[in-house]
Amino acid sequence: MHPFNIREALLAKHAQHVVLIHFPIALSMAGVAFDFVAYWTKRSALATAAYYNFTVAAVATLPVVATGLLAWQFQLEGQKLKGILLQHLVLGVVSSAMICLVWYVHFRSRRASEQKLPRYCLAIELVAMGLVALTAHLGGYLSGVNIPS
Amino acid sequence: MRRWKMQRNKASRILRTMIFGAVAIPSLVLANGALRPRPATAAQEKPGATTVTIDNFSFAPMQLEIKAGTEVTWINKDDVPHTVVSDDHKLFKSRALDTDEKFSFTFKDPGTYEYFCSVHPKMTGKIVVK
Repeated sequence: MHPFNIREALLAKHAQHVVLIHFPIALSMAGVAFDFVAYWTKRSALATAAYYNFTVAAVATLPVVATGLLAWQFQLEGQKLKGILLQHLVLGVVSSAMICLVWYVHFRSRRASEQKLPRYCLAIELVAMGLVALTAHLGGYLSGVNIPS
Repeated sequence: MRRWKMQRNKASRILRTMIFGAVAIPSLVLANGALRPRPATAAQEKPGATTVTIDNFSFAPMQLEIKAGTEVTWINKDDVPHTVVSDDHKLFKSRALDTDEKFSFTFKDPGTYEYFCSVHPKMTGKIVVK
């Protein structure tokens, strides 16, 4: 195994889901931060930054959901889930939908003549971040990153 | 005099009761402890059976030597679901085991059988059948 072997890097045997998940989480969190600062400071450049963060975050949710579903199908053979696994799956799908919804509200508001983000979008963003945090917590619990070494 | 005798008899009855209680109550407690059925391990339930505990993201014991025909039972004591899957993915494969759930497999043929948890592939174990 060589760190610069392209083939081994692309076809890594570890679960891709736990790697890819960091992108939508970080991008959406940055997007929320930009949106709140843009709201308080009335700086449209920050709102634009938030929009692009949410755009990439929404795109990044697609491979994350796909790899999560594939892990369920391949590692657990699509068995009926329960407990933490089921909670993580449901919350993951809902939080991904919320990130896409926030992006869509941004997209609609930018196409409108006023180009102003509606206030309710900030509330949706806060709810979305709460769901993302809960999903991530369960994911960390499932993957075992939070166990004492 | 008569009153004194009655008082003595009463004291004697109380003393006898206390002695009886002092002997009988611990005896009952001890008998209860000895006779009460204890939770049996897999090995006690069935001759030729043994248990592997899944806890803190590891199999314990990690390597186990058993005789052919022994039934091995894995019990998940972790708060996180785990699986037990043979390296060839064919010989044995459990469902996702939640806390306190069990999976059993009987090893009939001698050999070395390596297994892992498909949710956490770094969790591995080995069964040596002699």
